[in-house]
Amino acid sequence: MICCKECIELLHDYLEGELNPEIEASLEDHFADCPPCIAFVNTYKSTTRLCKDTLKSNDIPDAVKSRLKDFVDKNKNT
Amino acid sequence: MGFSDPTKDKATEEQLVKDLQAGEMGSFEQLANLYQGKIYSLSFNLTRNATDSQDVTQEVLLTLFRKGHTFQGKSAFSSWVYRITLNASYMKLRSRKREPNVSIDDLLPSFNKAGFQQEKIQDWSESTESLLFDNETRKVIQKAVDLLPDKEKVVFILRDVEGLSTEKVGNILELTIPAVKSRLHRARLFLRKKLANYFGEYKTRKEGK
Ligand SMILES: [Zn+2]
Ligand SMILES: [Zn+2]
Repeated sequence: MICCKECIELLHDYLEGELNPEIEASLEDHFADCPPCIAFVNTYKSTTRLCKDTLKSNDIPDAVKSRLKDFVDKNKNT
Repeated sequence: MGFSDPTKDKATEEQLVKDLQAGEMGSFEQLANLYQGKIYSLSFNLTRNATDSQDVTQEVLLTLFRKGHTFQGKSAFSSWVYRITLNASYMKLRSRKREPNVSIDDLLPSFNKAGFQQEKIQDWSESTESLLFDNETRKVIQKAVDLLPDKEKVVFILRDVEGLSTEKVGNILELTIPAVKSRLHRARLFLRKKLANYFGEYKTRKEGK
């Protein structure tokens, strides 16, 4: 049987659906009997989502936006 | 500008880039509007500093304005913009004293000789929803990303935060696809461990164990 270490190494490709079907099946067999790996997969997925949701919202502050607009206008007319 | 059809937006962008290459400066303002949010966001995730990110955004826009006509079109225009943004952000970081990065290997998962998980793995994935907009949680997450080594950090930000494809990230950073995937995976493992320390403890505290 494939071990935890091998499963974790293949996790990126597994979640992208890029593994060949046989290897994918052996991962799923392993997960069926391995609660630690299930917890690992769940928290690996959560990590990506949490980081994305936290870091994605860097909207330009209004003050910076208006300074950039001045900057663009100034250059546009030179 | 329309928000509707992405293929139409792409065609519009291509035309704007052509105009810029031809030295028609009317396209500059529209390209600046299209790109300044992306430039600022990427730079802010690398420098974590509003003033630096504003400087970087201005520098990149200035480069587009001054050197746009020299853009060769060998790779995508957006890759070029991302590359200039990365370089300008790294210049900012170089002039700053930085905290040393943690060694990524210390935070990769550990296994026993047979390859089985050694640590007790808590599943905190269900308990994070309510914490997401909590300020402390946001700080913990930002800090964890800030601690990533540069090579892994930039891949993680471009791929997972900005949502660019593996191919695109490889193109911007001049890396092979397997190299992008392996850096992304290492970054995620590192961050998972960092967040596990935080959420795992939180969960234990809440359950009163
Ligand atoms: Zn093994
Ligand atoms: Zn396992």
